[in-house]
Amino acid sequence: MALATRPEAPPMPPAPERRLRRPWIDAMVVQAVAVVAAVAFTGLVGSAIILSYGESPLFVYSTIWQFSTSRASDVARVLEQATPLIFSALAVSVAFKAGMFNIGVEGQYIVGMMTATMAAVWLDLPAVVHLPVVVLAAMAGSMIWAFVPAILKVKTGAHEVVTTIMMNGISVSLVAWALLNPLRTADTGFVDLRSDRFPESAVMPPLAPALGLEDQIPSSAHLTWLFPLALLACAAVWFLLFRTRLGYEARAVGASPGSAEAGGISIGATQLKVFLISGALAGFVGLNYLLGDAGFFGVNYETTLGFTGIAVAFLGRNHPVGILLSALLFGVLFRGEDGVAVATDLPREITVILEGLLILSVVVAYEIARRVQLRRQAEFIRQEEGEARAAA
Amino acid sequence: MPLLDLGAAIAIGLSYFTIIYLTGLGGLFSERSGIVNIGLEGLMISGTVMGAWGAINWGPVAGLAIGAMSGLLFSMVHAVATVTFRVDHIVSGVVINVVALGLARFLSQLFFGSASQSTSGVPNFGTIDIPLLSSLPAGLGRAFQDMSPMTLIAFALVFPVIFALNRTRFGLRLRSAGENPEATRTVGVRVVPLRYSGVALSGLLAGLSGAFLAIEVNALYQEGQTQGLGFIALAALILGNWSPSRLMVGALLFGFAQAVPLRLGDAPIIGVLPDQFVRMIPYIVTIVAIAGFVGRVQPPAAAGKAYEGTGGT
Amino acid sequence: MEAITKRFPGVMANDRVDLDLRPGEIHALVGENGAGKSTLMRVLYGLYPPDGGRIVVRGSEVRINSPRQAIALGIGMVHQHFVMVDRFTVTENIVLGAEGGTVVDFDGASERVKELAVSYGFAVDPSARVEDLSVGEEQRVEILKALYRGVDILILDEPTAVLTPSESIELFDNLRKLRADGKTVVFISHKLDEVLAIADRITVLRRGQVVGETAPAQTSKEQLAEMMVGRPVLFRLEKPEVSPGEAVLRVEDLKVAGKLHGVDLEVRSGEILGVAGVEGNGQRELAEALIGLQSPTAGRVLLEGRDVAGETVGDIRRRGVAYIPEDRHERGLVLQMTLWENSILGRQSNLGVVSRLGILLIRKVKAWAARLIKAFDVRASSIQVLAATLSGGNQQKLILARELEETPRLLIAHQPTRGLDVGAIEFVWRKILEQKALGAGVLLISAELEEIYELSDRILTIYEGRITGEYAGDASPAEIGIGMTGGRVAADAG
Repeated sequence: MALATRPEAPPMPPAPERRLRRPWIDAMVVQAVAVVAAVAFTGLVGSAIILSYGESPLFVYSTIWQFSTSRASDVARVLEQATPLIFSALAVSVAFKAGMFNIGVEGQYIVGMMTATMAAVWLDLPAVVHLPVVVLAAMAGSMIWAFVPAILKVKTGAHEVVTTIMMNGISVSLVAWALLNPLRTADTGFVDLRSDRFPESAVMPPLAPALGLEDQIPSSAHLTWLFPLALLACAAVWFLLFRTRLGYEARAVGASPGSAEAGGISIGATQLKVFLISGALAGFVGLNYLLGDAGFFGVNYETTLGFTGIAVAFLGRNHPVGILLSALLFGVLFRGEDGVAVATDLPREITVILEGLLILSVVVAYEIARRVQLRRQAEFIRQEEGEARAAA
Repeated sequence: MPLLDLGAAIAIGLSYFTIIYLTGLGGLFSERSGIVNIGLEGLMISGTVMGAWGAINWGPVAGLAIGAMSGLLFSMVHAVATVTFRVDHIVSGVVINVVALGLARFLSQLFFGSASQSTSGVPNFGTIDIPLLSSLPAGLGRAFQDMSPMTLIAFALVFPVIFALNRTRFGLRLRSAGENPEATRTVGVRVVPLRYSGVALSGLLAGLSGAFLAIEVNALYQEGQTQGLGFIALAALILGNWSPSRLMVGALLFGFAQAVPLRLGDAPIIGVLPDQFVRMIPYIVTIVAIAGFVGRVQPPAAAGKAYEGTGGT
Repeated sequence: MEAITKRFPGVMANDRVDLDLRPGEIHALVGENGAGKSTLMRVLYGLYPPDGGRIVVRGSEVRINSPRQAIALGIGMVHQHFVMVDRFTVTENIVLGAEGGTVVDFDGASERVKELAVSYGFAVDPSARVEDLSVGEEQRVEILKALYRGVDILILDEPTAVLTPSESIELFDNLRKLRADGKTVVFISHKLDEVLAIADRITVLRRGQVVGETAPAQTSKEQLAEMMVGRPVLFRLEKPEVSPGEAVLRVEDLKVAGKLHGVDLEVRSGEILGVAGVEGNGQRELAEALIGLQSPTAGRVLLEGRDVAGETVGDIRRRGVAYIPEDRHERGLVLQMTLWENSILGRQSNLGVVSRLGILLIRKVKAWAARLIKAFDVRASSIQVLAATLSGGNQQKLILARELEETPRLLIAHQPTRGLDVGAIEFVWRKILEQKALGAGVLLISAELEEIYELSDRILTIYEGRITGEYAGDASPAEIGIGMTGGRVAADAG
């Protein structure tokens, strides 16, 4: 039989103070380095491609920057582009934190646009109430659309990547049918497929007047109150994830479902709630276009906002602050596309390549950063222990 | 229901079967080596645009080859990210899909002058009529006329694939890398090259299948023509429990589901539904299939988990 | 092996170690957890490159850079945790890596496997799937893997850790046959009785250095222990004297899907009940059914008189049940979260942690976490560090702190000291005894008999999902051994 021991040395002394920075500062530094490295890498490869076209990389980059920032109306357009991306990325990242992949934002937001249109065109309400109801209708539609893959995942384990993509496909047909039938405009003057025009009470007011910038920001920039709402959403998501019990449980389920379960957290219930929240956020994605730009629901609605949102979410490290910054960056790149088309001979899709490179390098850089960070922290602690044990 | 329509539906279904099966086989090799690859859609997309370009310039065979190669190269991005850098497999797959969309736009603009489709038609292969079967009466023969050789190749592939997986050294090692990479390493077999091979095969086959879609089935490149088939292939793979022969069954099912809106729009029950709802059928079939069967499948044990290398604590 | 040195961050695992191995011997390598025995053998097997020293095989110096090279030199290793592909058959597992061609001749390989097995006295079915084999059979397959490749030196890392006493005896017979055939067996262990029974020579490691080499005839268990630990050792911690009170937990005919076939037991307050058994006999199902992670298919679980079978984890925890899981990474901590976030896992619905609206009371939580790490001596530079960066011992202490700080009524402890070093083990044992003194009832499930003896007032044995014996806390290992292997023994009055 083996033996127990009774130590004769006194209990070990407390660990000495270390020069290690507070862990969360350390983490930020490491991640900032990762972003810089990824951006630099993208810049380099992008420059090589630009050079192969015979253009100057510096000129291209500065054009992109100029086109996005020189006038107030340019900035407004960048913010306009960023608004739906913020919501889309928030939707993706909320689900991701809980360990799920919501690839279905595409489908969720167009269904949201459909239900919003129904509320806009079929209901007759005073302005003060109508707009909020329309927004709520959008959320409701997208939440219902998110509910299907969520409940299937929880009850049957069906992988949400496949089911959400399928739902995307179904949503396109559903919306097409809706435009063709119940929502079809009575006005026969239009050639394309569209709904009735929305009443004034259902349209999102522009932001510029409130800021006193009406002269500099034309209404064609479509910068509406949805932008501040997006900022609010960022703050709300942060608060939800890091300061509430649901957010805590969601993160635990996403990081370590076994331990979460052992701690009394219901994995299925948590995942369902989080996916619905994700769906609700997705509902906002189409609203800036629908309520701030078009004013009706037509067949030429904006697509790919869901997938771009995924890119924004990854670039922003699935954190609300990162998402905000990365959405702005994407806004700059989108706006810059027009500049590139006008001022150079490059195809406008060059910015698309830059975006692709950026996403790829960021994903790899973050992974490396995460491991480096863990190893550093572990090493410090191991050294501490080694010293303490040698001293004992 | 006129049987001629059924025959035509089967014919189209077989084309889609080819696409889904080839892509699914690619996914099979990747996943059985331990790398989850949901970027199959993106790999197919690269196959469509590059394949169309190749076919327009150098003929259909070149197009298929170029499409396959482009898939292979593109899949290496996924391989490097997941095997070497140990990025989460699903994250990397999603990135592949997102990047593919943008890349396709860029290349399409470059090749065809339009971001969304190729202007000219794409030459295709020439077709075969299956000797006896194409004379089947009552219109069923239609199903076996004008069949692309690729479809036959796809059917024939199942045998060498099963042999390779179960009776060769490569197959044994590939499977062990996907079941237990630690055990593989412990006997001195390197996991990394096996996983790279698995991913490369997935890229090759998905690219080939995309090229086939553009060249043979649609005869042009068009943005979005893959319509989620990459994900449907994934569903077929799951349904088929990652086995080549059962994958074939799933691919046939889903392939035929694709044909329904295209050729069976006037069939008894289906004819009642509005057009758009009929188009939802393939997607609904897929969802029902994987929701109903998921509990009874067993993926490769180590698929999706990063392998940390030798030693350990 | 001469002057082998191997460093890891912050730790000198092997410090100028010399070891020589002769043909036809069983050479034991002993030391505590963390003494460097496994590391040394991993260097020999090519899994780690040494930082210093050299290896000489049959007279010539070699560099062993990979397991492949080691095998080519005739060195094979069977790890403590088997590395085999569960879904493959025995033959497929053995042949992996040594297929002998592009197309694999499975039938021929199976024949060879059978021949080898017979010649060394193993009983094995080449076409059986590994996942269907018992632990002892799996180990034999691992050994056959090495023999199939023609090794002369066979390294076994803690081979008896997973075997029942009778399986260990079988193993020793097989090892003797190997020795008779001229092979060398390196037997890594910390179980001194076994080492004395089987080894020809014994090398003792402590803190990465060789402290002595001897033979069974020239030494004793006490001497070996002293060499291992470096100071005279004493038996037993002080067990507090407590007279047990009412039953805190009563389990009646508990059945869990396929693994637990009707278990009865009772734990009283102020008492530690030890459940001894080799891993894989239903212990996990028992522990998880009691905490609510698995639903029993039948039976009652009476917590202070109230049947809680089938209730959720949250509800059971709220009744004052604490749980130290077997696997602290998969069931205990969320490694990606910070220390303070982990400190409330399990009580995130308590009103001291969240407000009525579901908002976390951060300041209170952080204060709680600070208190925990002080009381339980968790080594970390701050409560903001990620749990993944803590050492195993500190992680376990964190779990203990959070589970025990509010004195539970019932503590379920499953392998509470797995993988810990001596200091941490002692700490954990002391804390568990403290709980007993405070009146908690403790259900201790462990495969380490020393731990069972150290802590238990009464002992049960579990085998294949059934309780096979009940013993007093000071029953002999021989008696308990019978229970662990399925023999039924009537309760001993002690």
